[in-house]
Order: sequence, then structure tokens, then C-alpha cells
Amino acid sequence: MSRAGTAAPCRVLVLRCPDLLAAADEPDAPVRGVPLTAAFEPVVAVVEEFSPQAEVLRPGLVALAARGPARYFGGEAVLAVKLAEAVCLRGFACQIGIADGLFAADLAAQSGPAGLLIPPGETPQFLAGLPVAALGSPELADLLPRLGIRTLGEFAALPAAEAGSRFGAQGTIAHRLACGLDPRPLAPQPPRLDLSVQQEFDPPAEQSEPVVFTAKAIAELMHAKLSARGLACVRVQVQVQYADGQELSRLWRHDGLLSALAVAERVRWQLDGSRAGGGRSGEEGAGPGGIALLRLIPDQLVRATGHQLSLWGDAVISDRVARAAIRVQAMLGHTAVTRPVLSGGRSPAEQALLVPFGDTAMPSRPAEQPWPGQIPAPAPATVYPVPLSASVTDTAGKAVSVSGRAQLSAPPAWLMASGCPAHAVISWAGPWPMTERWWDPARARRQARFQLITDDGNAWLAVVQDGQWLLEASYD
Amino acid sequence: MRVISLAPMRHRDDVLTSEGVLPVLAALRDLLPNGGLQRGSVVSTADWGLLSLALAADATAAGAWCAVAGVPVLGVRAAADAGLDPGRLVLIADPGRSWPHVVASLLDGFDIVLLHPPEQPPAQLRRKLEAAARRYGSVLLVAGDWPGAQTRLAVTEEEWTGIGTGYGRLRARRARVVASGRGAGERPRSSWLWLPGSDGSVTTAQARPGAQAHDEQTVESLASSG
Repeated sequence: MSRAGTAAPCRVLVLRCPDLLAAADEPDAPVRGVPLTAAFEPVVAVVEEFSPQAEVLRPGLVALAARGPARYFGGEAVLAVKLAEAVCLRGFACQIGIADGLFAADLAAQSGPAGLLIPPGETPQFLAGLPVAALGSPELADLLPRLGIRTLGEFAALPAAEAGSRFGAQGTIAHRLACGLDPRPLAPQPPRLDLSVQQEFDPPAEQSEPVVFTAKAIAELMHAKLSARGLACVRVQVQVQYADGQELSRLWRHDGLLSALAVAERVRWQLDGSRAGGGRSGEEGAGPGGIALLRLIPDQLVRATGHQLSLWGDAVISDRVARAAIRVQAMLGHTAVTRPVLSGGRSPAEQALLVPFGDTAMPSRPAEQPWPGQIPAPAPATVYPVPLSASVTDTAGKAVSVSGRAQLSAPPAWLMASGCPAHAVISWAGPWPMTERWWDPARARRQARFQLITDDGNAWLAVVQDGQWLLEASYD
Repeated sequence: MRVISLAPMRHRDDVLTSEGVLPVLAALRDLLPNGGLQRGSVVSTADWGLLSLALAADATAAGAWCAVAGVPVLGVRAAADAGLDPGRLVLIADPGRSWPHVVASLLDGFDIVLLHPPEQPPAQLRRKLEAAARRYGSVLLVAGDWPGAQTRLAVTEEEWTGIGTGYGRLRARRARVVASGRGAGERPRSSWLWLPGSDGSVTTAQARPGAQAHDEQTVESLASSG
């Protein structure tokens, strides 16, 4: 049960307003005299009285985590009845479904005139009887019955790996859904609280000192507002408006760990950074006319749970390293300082993901999976983020081409990278054809790969794509 | 009375070996004075390449933090295969026009700063950064020419194995690395390395057959030119 990815998803309540959903094809079309999104607003307000963590999926469809409210109101059935009554009082017909996971809860809401309550743990049985059309994917709804798979239960009976390899990422998600698992966790809509704090400067502040001083005071105010609600923010956005209307905004990692002084320090870095990196933003000096407004906006509110230990992933980053990195981020921007994460892929450039310092991200292509067709070790030490265009010619000076059957027109004799003199090719190997993602026209690739050594001692990884030679990496 | 300590600042005790020398891969030990990267020193390699990454590898494995500035083309997989811990690596692909500022900030936080200068820095600027490295007890690894470097490494000969004309693939590179240094009794040393070996690691290699004969000569000529 505790195996990653197979744990049952949490209890989810879905509320549907059928008459609003019917109009959802035209979001701007009026329903009862008001636009659709506005017409749904009172329903959302009612739902938010039951739970602050309501997620509006689209106009007419709202989901919320059922566990907390159900406990408060004395059971899921009671909760559903009370919620239905409250919505009906506003003059909307509604269906309510409660099940394990959003997908099942939505389907439960659709079954029967008022919806269904699926008891905990029985979601897979409920799903098993439904037709595959319920997956909401026209391709799969067309394909699966032709393969003899008519119900979600039959689809769920397939091994997950087979569903993934046969039907791609879409198949993997569909299979998880059919098994009663979550494709993604529910993200609560942030409560509509304005916790930002700001201070205007009239006359505009020419120096950064008074701004930094004010920042400390208003940061204390922001922290007080947050802690009064038991919240912490993951990041804080510092907005600086200049008298001439320019705005300088930057996000800083907070995690509920920064003191007011530390926030003020970040404001100082941001102001210093805009000055030091003046060349980057295209102007010198502190904004013309001085600073007119400073605003601190807490971003990504989370429940304050005290201090976390490993803030930055596995390796605990010492204060000193973090401070140096953040200082450089202040000069160059948040995304200019990155941490590499190994990722999966067939070309060298795909094998690393650069995550801005302070953020966390998981590679979408796991590195542990085998990636058949990748170039075997050793890996190149120089990987061009954008491949360099090059031309490769044979001894007669004609461009070397590769046919659809991976036949070479002539052995490569000269390599000329763009902007560099030509070098003779002394050794080479290839072509190694590679066809990637043929099922996805937008991302499909057909390439032939080569390794080349030129007479200056450089070793290159080159590819031919659409008749064009590109240098992907160099082994120097 | 204020007491001013003359010893370099030691702020990373967890990583420090007691002598203030960061460890390097076994294959590189013979090339460096004290068998490692002396804190506060500058080590240069002739150009950007796997050698620069290999120099930083063992120290990050031991827990040191490394920042790389000015290398947008760093091959993370090659770095990891050479033994560098990507979790202790921070990249600043483009340090911009105020790169000396950036590098000075990095030296005050990271144990190793690997720099590929966007342009040849003037002597005054170089001395400033050398002073910053000394002050913070960090190691400045420069990929490029740096006249004030305590140790300069260069690949003088290289040969790929496993590839022919139209067959095979790149398997390993046997390279001869020559180190020359400044200061007391520094005499050029050279080693043959697999840079990289067939699994991407950097290890000691046998000398290329037939290369031994003119070894001494090359070293001497390098010594007189350097």
C-alpha cells in the first residue's frame, strides 16, 4: 500500500452544475444574463464555505478534498447532502460525487441524477464497470474497443508498463486513472487573501537605504499577517516601482525561514543588483526619479509547519554557499544561477536539466531508465545547448549526405563548423540512425549520428537531421 | 587590542582536510603540489575541457561546493562520470559584463570556483581575484591563460582509441598532462591519463608506446617556455 505511486489517492468531492457545464463550450455566452464564469461564482462561494481548499476545474465543475469537511460535518453522506442543499438554495441543480481521486469522483458525480458516493477503497470496482469512453480520450475510446478492451476494468488489468509502452504517456495516465490512481495531486486554489504589504514613497526615494529600512518594517508586518493565519510563504515577491513607472520585480525563496531583516537584505540585493547589472536591464544607476513604491507579496502560501531541515534537496546547502548563490542571483537574475540535475534522454543536451538555485524540480525524463540509442560512455565534456551548424564534405568537396536507409553518400573528409576554418577528418564512425517519438509529430526526430575526430585533435559528436549537419557536443 | 589573524579564513571545516588542501582524483595527485588543490591558490588549465572538471571532481565528492562560471556548454553527464557530484555543483552559464564581481562573490562561499573568463583579464583584475581566493580560502580553477596561477596544467598529447575510419566508436582518450608551476623548486611534471576512460572516469594510463623517448625533451622545452 505504501509503495510509491500505488497508494490510494485521497478522498475527493466533485460538484457538477450540469446546466452550467452544458454552456461551457462558450465561456463568454451569458447564462441567466451574466457571463458563465460569473454565473458560477456564487456556487464557488458556497463551496468555499464548506472548504477553503476548493479547486475550480472549469466553470461548472469544482473539486475539494473531502476528508476534512466530512469529518467536520459528520460523514461524507451528510457533507454531500448539506452541500447539495446549499447549492440548490442558490438556484442551481447539482450533482455530487465522492470517491478516491478526482477522476473517479467526477465520474461518480455524473452517474445517477444526484451523483454517487463511492465508499473508501471501492473505487477500482466502481471504475471497472465503466466503458473506456469515460477516460475522455477520443483516441483511446476508439482504439481500445477495437483491441477488445471495452471497460476500464479490462484496461486496468493490463500491466502498467505495457499500457505505457503501447499507448505512450497518455496511455500511462489513462491506465493510472483506470486503476483508480491519481494522475496528479489536487492543488488547492489559494485563498483569496491579500497578504501583501506595501509602502509608498512620496517624494520618491533616491537612495536605497530608506527603502531597505522600510522593507524591514513592512516585512515584519507581512510576517505578522502570515503567522496570524498559520501560514508561511514559499517565496516572496519583491516589487519595486520607480517614479517613472518602471517596475522591478523578483521572487525570492522564503520557505518561512527568513527574518524581517533577511527580507530587507534581499530587497537591498535586488536594488544593488539592478544597479550592478544596469547594463543588463539597459540603464545605469538607480531608476530615474527614485523609488516610488515597495511591495512585498507572499507567494505560494503553505501551512506553517516549522523549519524544514533539508531545504535544498538532498545535499544540505550551507548558509555561506546559499548566500553567495543568492547574491549572484541578485546581480544576474533568479534563473542565471542553476543547479544541474541528471535527466534521461538520447542526446547529450537532454541529459541534464538546469534548475534555478532555490527551486526544486524533478526531471520529466528519469535518468535511471534505459534510453536505448543514447551514445555509450564516455560522455562529452562540452555539450552545446544549441547545436552548432556545420558542414561536412567529402574529398571532392561535395556535402556528405545520409539516405533514408542510413547509407552514406561518401566518407566524410572535411569538417567546417560555422565560423571556423575547415579541418580534415582523420577518424570517424557512424552513421547511427535514431528515430525518436514517431508517434508525436511535434516532437518526432529522425537523425543519424556520427563521431568525428579532426586533425586538430578534437573529437566531435555530430548529427545529420533533415540533410543538415549539426555539432551536438565535443569530447575535449 | 584587536588581534588580526593572518591565517586564511576557514569556514568550511566539514570539508577541510587539516592542511587546507582539497583532495583530487588519485590520477591527478602527482601533478599538483601537496597532492591536491591548495586552498587560496589558483590552478589553471590551458583550455576548457574534461581536465578542468576532473580537477574539481574528488573535492565535491568529499563535500566541497563548486561553482562554474562562464561555461554554458558544461557536459553534466561527463562531469558526473568523472566523479563530480552534480548535487554540489552550481552553474552560472553567463556571468555577464560584471563577471569579476560575480566571481568574487562566488569565491566567498564556494570551495572551488571554476572560471572560464569571457575575455583575457588585465593583470590588476587578476591580482584582485587571486587576493579574494586567498582571503576566503577558496580555490580558483581557471580554464584559460592565467599568468599568476600557482600551477598550470595542459594536455600536450592526446590519442583516442576505439575509433577508425568508418568503424568503432570513441572509447577512451589517452592524454599526457604536463604541470608546470611557480615558486620554490617547481619542476614540470607529467602524467599519462585516461581522460576519459571507457566508463568516463579519469584514471592513470600507461604511457603511449614510443612516447617515452621524447618525454624529457618536451618537459624541458615547456619548462623553458613557461
